[in-house]
Amino acid sequence: MTLLRCLPYVRKQMTRHRVRSLLTIAGVAIAMFLFTSVQAMNRGVAQATRTTAEDTTLVVYRADRFCPATSELPQDYLRRIEQVDGVAAAIPMMVVVTNCRTSLDVVTFRGVPKDGFISARLSEIEVVAGSTEDWQRRTDAALVGETLAERRGLRPGMTFDAAGITAYVAGVFRSDDPQDQNVAYTALPFVQMAGRDRLGIVTQFNVKVTDPAMLDPVANRIDELFVHASEPTATFSEKAFIGRLADDIIELVGFARWLGLGCLVAVLALVANSIVLGVQSRVVEHAVLQTLGYSGWLVAALIVVEGTLLALVGGVVGAGVALAVAHFGSFALSVEGTTIPIAADAKLLATGLLICGAIGVVAGLVPALQASRRQIAACFRSA
Amino acid sequence: MAMIECRELTREYHKADQVIRPLDGLNLDVPRGDFLALMGPSGSGKTTLLNLIAGIDSPTRGSLTVEGSDLAQMSRNGLAAWRSTHVGYVFQLYNLVPVLTAYENVELPMLLQKISRRQRHERVSLALERAGIADRADHYPRQLSGGQEQRVAIARAIVTDPPILVADEPTGDLDKASAHTAMTLLQQLNQDLGKTIIMVTHDPQTTEYAKHTLHLDKGQLVEAGVEREEVPA
Ligand SMILES: Nc1ncnc2c1ncn2[C@@H]1O[C@H](COP(=O)(O)OP(=O)(O)OP(=O)(O)O)[C@@H](O)[C@H]1O
Ligand SMILES: [Mg+2]
Repeated sequence: MTLLRCLPYVRKQMTRHRVRSLLTIAGVAIAMFLFTSVQAMNRGVAQATRTTAEDTTLVVYRADRFCPATSELPQDYLRRIEQVDGVAAAIPMMVVVTNCRTSLDVVTFRGVPKDGFISARLSEIEVVAGSTEDWQRRTDAALVGETLAERRGLRPGMTFDAAGITAYVAGVFRSDDPQDQNVAYTALPFVQMAGRDRLGIVTQFNVKVTDPAMLDPVANRIDELFVHASEPTATFSEKAFIGRLADDIIELVGFARWLGLGCLVAVLALVANSIVLGVQSRVVEHAVLQTLGYSGWLVAALIVVEGTLLALVGGVVGAGVALAVAHFGSFALSVEGTTIPIAADAKLLATGLLICGAIGVVAGLVPALQASRRQIAACFRSA
Repeated sequence: MAMIECRELTREYHKADQVIRPLDGLNLDVPRGDFLALMGPSGSGKTTLLNLIAGIDSPTRGSLTVEGSDLAQMSRNGLAAWRSTHVGYVFQLYNLVPVLTAYENVELPMLLQKISRRQRHERVSLALERAGIADRADHYPRQLSGGQEQRVAIARAIVTDPPILVADEPTGDLDKASAHTAMTLLQQLNQDLGKTIIMVTHDPQTTEYAKHTLHLDKGQLVEAGVEREEVPA
């Protein structure tokens, strides 16, 4: 195909108008970095808060409390919760965080009964370093989520300090649940005794129901049980619970969507500007090509290809760097002990490139059609 | 039958309610193998005629037949395909693509042809050699003198081996020595390869390389001598 044979010509136009190409690519890359980052956060929010048909986890929290530091419930609620119809398992949990506010680098300890955790959760996580035997043996042992471990450089055998707790890393695990990826699981009494004596007190209960349809009935039943107690409960599906604690950040990320859209408009403007200027400065050149026998369509196609390539290269760089930063930085937005993951993956990169390609085509279309329809002879006169 | 036949060839432009007619019912026959020099005062329609013959402009009225094809009836795409094999255009200001080397400039018309890379290389090298500029193949236009640029442009015009060459004041921007080299080259192309050449010029000396000279005034051919009263620009 003629267009394929002419691709080296497009490449030379790009590489030999180096400053113009680099500036355009740099602009596109910056905009696509922002867009990809915003998208990654948006998708993280969706993953963390959008209820799916398979969800079976409830969180029992102290009513009217919005922070793990103030949510206190008696640990012996456990027996009554376990007896509710539709409850498959319940884990009492004390949550201690280094920072209650929104931050990218929070260490969250979740104190849990080791036996209960092993029986209820072990099948859902994959230990990638160290061992659970080691974790069960030592009182100060922690099983650390992969994201947290990578961010803090934690490996089995190390000890680390956070939130007044000194813990020993027994293992690192991977989990599909973003709430696991960013926490350290330790023994419940170990966390309860950290700093001050709070034995018998927990922050929350994580309850597995037997069937996704049971989420609401079980939640209501639990709250009814303790409605007259001095420490009443408020029970939510896990996703709704995160949405409730992290509502500021969710609103912010939702607003950032407009920022992302703005980035795309910026990419369009940048590429269109570059192409329009390029076409204007090459009126005679395009007329020469047509004089040599290039059809108007071919000239138009070459212009569109050039715009698309500029956008794509910028997109690869920008989205690529965003993904790399998200991946190697192992960031996760933590709010009140809950985690909003930054969901940057290959699919996001593919989406970004698709959008870039489309923008490149759109940006090149109008100048390309104009160039292809000009009166050839008139182009030489105006020069 | 002449290679190029113009009958009542007219080109009009409309500006507001004014009609500009750079070509006005022109009749012209150019036989195969001719080397025709066109002279005439500025604005007499020389470039307009050349553009019509080269198929980058279309007549308003009249007919223009080149090698049996009626250019006035061809579509824009049809004309583009026709140009790529039938005509080479040499401009006064060379019009080389600045970001491409001499070799790459000459290669441009060959990219349209379905031939192997090796064949393409052979054709480009041959054209550069014919134009006597092969030693500058890797140079960019800005690294070449005007005379060298024009020789690259001539190589680009002949690389597809078209039967017709048109040249619009090819020596207009060249010094005497470079003009002589370029004109000798065109003469060789006419004599050795049988190219039919139509050249516009303001310089009476360059007409000596041509076989015939015709004079154009106000869009029509005139007898030689009429334009002698004109002062060349
Ligand atoms: N696109 C156009 N619109 C309006 N007028 C035009 C256009 N193209 C050419 N003309 C007019 O046609 C006339 C002939 O132009 P042309 O370029 O053919 O003259 P020329 O003989 O080549 O002159 P020169 O020796 O100066 O190059 C001029 O008066 C010019 O202004
Ligand atoms: Mg002219």
